[in-house]
Amino acid sequence: MTTHSDRRRGATAVLAAATLLTVGACSGADTTSGTGGGSADAAKLQLSPTTSAAKGTLARADWLLEDEPDSLDLDTQGTSAGRVVLTNVCERLYQLQPDMTTKPFLASSAKTSTDGRTLTLTVRSGVTFHDGSKLTADDVLWSLKRHADPDMEQSDEFGNVSSMKKTGADEITIGFKAPDALFTKALAGDAGIVWNKEQVEKAGQDFGTPGRPDACSGPYALKNWKSGDSITIAAYDDYWGKQPMTREVVFRWAADSALVNALKTGAADGAYAESPNTAAALLKDKDIAQHYGPSTASLVLIPTARGGLGDEKIRRALSLSLDRKGIADSGYGGLVEPWATPVGSGAWGYEKAEFQSAQKQLASLAPASPSADDLAEAKKLVKEAGAPGAPLVIGTDASQGRTVTANAVRAALQRIGLKAQIKTVPTSQFEEFYSDPQARDEIDLLVGDWYISKADPMGFYDNGLSDSSNNWVGFKDATYDKNVKKALATLDDTERASLAIDVQRRFADAAVWIPIAQIPTILLLDAKLTGPPASQAYLYYPWAAELGSKRAE
Amino acid sequence: MLARISRRLAGLLATLFAASFVIFAAVYAAPGDPAVFLAGGRDKLTPERLASVRAQYHLDEPLVVQYGRWLWDCVHLDLGRSFQYSDQVGDLVSARLPTTLQLVAYATVLFVVLGVGAGILAAVRRSTWVDSAVVGGTTLAASVPSFVAAIALVSLFGVQLGWFPVTGSGTGIAGTLHHLTLPALSLALGALAIISRVTRQAMADAAASDHVEAARASGVPERDIIRRHVLRNALGPIVTMCGLVMAGMLAGTVVVETAFGLSGIGSLLVGSINAHDFPVAQAVLLLMVTGYVVVTTAVDLVHPLLDPRVKEVRPA
Repeated sequence: MTTHSDRRRGATAVLAAATLLTVGACSGADTTSGTGGGSADAAKLQLSPTTSAAKGTLARADWLLEDEPDSLDLDTQGTSAGRVVLTNVCERLYQLQPDMTTKPFLASSAKTSTDGRTLTLTVRSGVTFHDGSKLTADDVLWSLKRHADPDMEQSDEFGNVSSMKKTGADEITIGFKAPDALFTKALAGDAGIVWNKEQVEKAGQDFGTPGRPDACSGPYALKNWKSGDSITIAAYDDYWGKQPMTREVVFRWAADSALVNALKTGAADGAYAESPNTAAALLKDKDIAQHYGPSTASLVLIPTARGGLGDEKIRRALSLSLDRKGIADSGYGGLVEPWATPVGSGAWGYEKAEFQSAQKQLASLAPASPSADDLAEAKKLVKEAGAPGAPLVIGTDASQGRTVTANAVRAALQRIGLKAQIKTVPTSQFEEFYSDPQARDEIDLLVGDWYISKADPMGFYDNGLSDSSNNWVGFKDATYDKNVKKALATLDDTERASLAIDVQRRFADAAVWIPIAQIPTILLLDAKLTGPPASQAYLYYPWAAELGSKRAE
Repeated sequence: MLARISRRLAGLLATLFAASFVIFAAVYAAPGDPAVFLAGGRDKLTPERLASVRAQYHLDEPLVVQYGRWLWDCVHLDLGRSFQYSDQVGDLVSARLPTTLQLVAYATVLFVVLGVGAGILAAVRRSTWVDSAVVGGTTLAASVPSFVAAIALVSLFGVQLGWFPVTGSGTGIAGTLHHLTLPALSLALGALAIISRVTRQAMADAAASDHVEAARASGVPERDIIRRHVLRNALGPIVTMCGLVMAGMLAGTVVVETAFGLSGIGSLLVGSINAHDFPVAQAVLLLMVTGYVVVTTAVDLVHPLLDPRVKEVRPA
């Protein structure tokens, strides 16, 4: 799907000093930041897409997830936990790299026509599925059609597709109604998984449930899923590519303190932390290294048009008076970084330098800590707009980070002379704010988080289109709409980046959403181990294959 | 006796039937829309999509019709498919049930042995420092909520000393015992005070009865008096209370399961409620109620065997 947030767990995941994220950032550099004491300082966190390469192999790794996967069929139930496991087992037509660029993968080559309306994929030869059968163009076509089924999670990626055909023994041709800049990026995500048609059909409704084999071709095969206990994957001997460094990975799951304790006592070798607070609790532990990498995730305030925030000036005033650094420090242990756009730096899969400087320029609209000038400007805006009569209602759940954020928002509103109150609801109900306009009728502002699955800011900005269901304030700007649509149909990266920066500026000027901080991907890893990527690519890249020991044996 | 048992069984079924309806209606009435969860991510929720999901899962039908459908399937041993896991509910539950049952069994052994033991000790040494120590100690234990006990036990014996694992339920008998010791202890602590108090009081009451006085007067050794007369007569209330506490535990393991990262019935229930996973929540709740009703019925049936006086006062 184009944009979504992890709907199961409000918590979040990733990021740090984007200043260090300059082009080609230090791949291979060891960026361990397990400082062995004290809390983190967002400004000093090193952010690198990778960890240093492993030298020694590993017979077995114990890995923690924050939750048991719902299903290992990502077409019917796509959650982060399932992806973290399955990305080692299943392969996609394109592959997202640790530096967030994409390249053809199970498609050995890809060709786009000059008018951008057809994409011709050559299916890689010599690839076998885990049941030993050969991967064919028929499997690819069948998989694409399954992804495109309206009942499946990825169907919205195929909105522009007009036809999908087998046009040669190993060739698939996809036709488009209009050029689609994000389509090949979607093929690096769940929309590009190639299933073994025979195995999926054989399993029927039970495909992806415990006790069933996988239907993929990746470096690991699913060995066992004991419902409620563990999932084991093992290296696939006939893998077409390089054999993995770690031969077997056993996944278990635990939340919050149980996860922290399991890492502390060495019961687990590592985890990708979905919540910065989990990582903050382990900052002092010398045996656990913390690696921070770029992700697309961010903390945001999403206003509704219900009360005063329907007025652009009040929204801008709130953005100017918010203490983002305070939220990062008190709510998230310094592991998130004040940020001026609603997508994290991991979204910069191309033209990094341009996006970085554009983000910095927007900091005047979203200061890390408001200055006296910012507050004066904010008060002026409120005066011009006229203060709303009823108190503004801030919707949140009871998690630590959101509670701190909600209180900081109330403080900011009070600072500029506006009344506010906090409405705390259970997590299950909280999720409905995102999707149910009726639930939102009770709030003026949602303390939210968001990430996009593709490394392209344009994967986000369609949320600001005047007819988007995520445009809750009724933002309308004809130029914005025109440029978003143009960018989505622009295949040239440089051209698309300049359009993206334009719409980003318009989105920020109108404060359609109010950005707070970007969240890094946090990899928690036994200090003796290294290898896997630290960026959000861990959701789509076979990270376990590169996990190994720091020393050659 | 047979008539009594069959009457109890009929009562049990009636209770379950009533409970199943209450459970079904309660889960149905819980805030939140399962269709929102079922329909997937945040950006694909159109009203049409929600309506089609509701129709697909029969969520748009009246409550009674849905209940009837569910009950019919239940009677045919089909608990349905989980909304969240798309797996059979029966498989999900049976995969997690052993962990919870082992945990409750272990905790029961702990609180029965330690609680009854402490109660006997207090009763025998009544009004001495031993009595005060038992009453004081168990009161303290009972006042600590199980999640606090869990956190304290984990940080001391798991993280600091490293004697016990802090997550998972282990394999094999030794592994399971090792993994479940701390969770079972956290669970048993609260029960200790109740059981030791009941034991102490029941024994005091029994010791005050006429035949005990008579036996004592006729020179029967104190040890035999306590074993044959006092403890035997006190057993009824003690067993009843142990049964009730154990039955309560079946429904109360969630906090401990969460703290120790155990995938049991309790954490399955909470997860399913959060995800509006109706079929799973209903099945687990029904299972918990069944467990409670079965255990308390069993206690009721066993009671007269322990204490013949109970049978006499009830019409046979």
